[in-house]
Amino acid sequence: MEIITVQNLTKVFTYAAKEKGLKGSLRDLFARKTLQKTAVENVSFTVQKGEAVGLLGPNGAGKTTTLKMLSGILYPTSGSATVAGYVPWQRQRAYQRRFAIVMGQKSQLWPDLPAVDTFELNRRIYEVDADAYRRTLDELTDLLDVRELLQVQVRRLSLGERMKMELIAALLHRPEILYLDEPTIGLDILSQRSIRDFLKYYNEQTRTTLLLTSHYTADIEALCPRSIIINHGSVVFDGPLAEVSEVFGHKKLVALKAQRDLTAAELAAFGTVRACQHNTALLEVERDRLQPCLQRLFGALPVVDLDVKDIPLEEGIAYFYQKAGVSAP
Amino acid sequence: MKPYGYVFGMGLQKALAYRADFLLTLASCIFPILMQVCLWTALYAAGAADTGGYTYEQMILYTLLAGITARIVATGFENDVAQDIKDGGLNKYLVKPVDYGGYYFAQFLGGKAGPIAFLLAVTTAVLAGAAAVLGTAFSPLRLGLYALSLAGATVLNFVLFYAIALLGFWLTEIRQLFGTIAIVILVASGGVFPLDIFGPVGRWMAAALPFGYTTQFCVNIVTGRLAPGQIALGFAAQWLWAGAFAALCAVLWRQGAKRYTAVGG
Repeated sequence: MEIITVQNLTKVFTYAAKEKGLKGSLRDLFARKTLQKTAVENVSFTVQKGEAVGLLGPNGAGKTTTLKMLSGILYPTSGSATVAGYVPWQRQRAYQRRFAIVMGQKSQLWPDLPAVDTFELNRRIYEVDADAYRRTLDELTDLLDVRELLQVQVRRLSLGERMKMELIAALLHRPEILYLDEPTIGLDILSQRSIRDFLKYYNEQTRTTLLLTSHYTADIEALCPRSIIINHGSVVFDGPLAEVSEVFGHKKLVALKAQRDLTAAELAAFGTVRACQHNTALLEVERDRLQPCLQRLFGALPVVDLDVKDIPLEEGIAYFYQKAGVSAP
Repeated sequence: MKPYGYVFGMGLQKALAYRADFLLTLASCIFPILMQVCLWTALYAAGAADTGGYTYEQMILYTLLAGITARIVATGFENDVAQDIKDGGLNKYLVKPVDYGGYYFAQFLGGKAGPIAFLLAVTTAVLAGAAAVLGTAFSPLRLGLYALSLAGATVLNFVLFYAIALLGFWLTEIRQLFGTIAIVILVASGGVFPLDIFGPVGRWMAAALPFGYTTQFCVNIVTGRLAPGQIALGFAAQWLWAGAFAALCAVLWRQGAKRYTAVGG
């Protein structure tokens, strides 16, 4: 069952140009040029109920703008979207009770008060029954291991602890849809893993629909069976993240170590030289030429160690970040 | 279950969380009033026997009560609203089933509850002092009407400044203007001196513009300068202006929210 339907969603921001230097500033006082930036352009996709979908893209690609339109923060310039049957930017109370959004770089907690005060406020805003609230709070604080931090002023919490509190605040009313914008940004590896594990468990247990943006591939790999890559405001890939690697599926990386120093010139005959330093090198080789290439390598060079690897996932993603359309490299 | 009462409590808790700041806020209410008292004392001592129909004692009483009243109804949240609009802080309110204006009003009242209680205590002391020194009688009815007018003035001042703050949807750096606007409105409200001292123009300003209904009207009730009919008309004008500005806020919000760019991640 489709819970999110997005069709040709477009958002164009209009802003005033600022010319360079003092002269430019003075000129701007009398004649200011207006510029337009298309943040999201004809984006279309659907999300099934209970699905966890990752939105990937470089900075400024339009991921966050898409989330902001789906959560009703922004009005689109054109296009349409429905979430759980509602048009998000109409900001109907009934829709607002059915979703939550967590933004890694914006807090919804009152910094000068303990998080539990914001939780109680959210209980009243979302009209959550006191018993249900208590049960949910107990469950979430145990899962995230923050029970002893409930009475601590939010501004005294670490970034990781604060993010856990943000998640609790967002989930107290049991939303059907959870938008997450960079929920692990700036966190250390342990905190990232903790947040990731929690979200995975929560999605599996409650079938809450997740739409997640992150620059950390590990977040998307762990949480989202499906990814949508947005670049220059448009969808350039939609499918399982594993398929992103298949863009480079016809290539392999060969890492080798020899008994003597190597040169790029002598390695060029075996494949594309990605790196060559002292007695180590990294070669990119066509998959169907791998076996003869390795035999020739062992014959021509005093190889002491060799490792054959797939092209890293990040390179596949980077490829989509740089390309407007999808075609094999 | 309505959240606004709880927001009020959180605003109060936040104000009390920093005790030194809370006490300094209270102290800062008093110093400007004392400075004005000194100024009027010097002016009257220099020969201004009767300024705009106010004797020295009446002027001092007006200055004290107007200073306190202006601070009771003063806002100060407009920077936060403009900042929310400029930096995307509004996001967290737009996604919740809550009214932003109502939320801010509750938070504003919560934050002010402490200073208001203190200022009302000071008002009581000032009135008791005036009764003892000048022999002026302040009837319970007048005091009750004064309290009622303060409630209206607080609402009117809130919607007035909220409307100004919402202009942030159109003017990105509106915060620079707030200081100037606040001073102009303080003067136009009779918060520094009675507008009557400017003759017919001053009286017209006090009656025809909304600002006088936030301070001078309230003070004139308690000092007995208004007849019952004028008080009734004043209350009607006060709430009509509050309604008009509330309607303006609703329009500004509706139009502004469509322009909102929600900058930042």
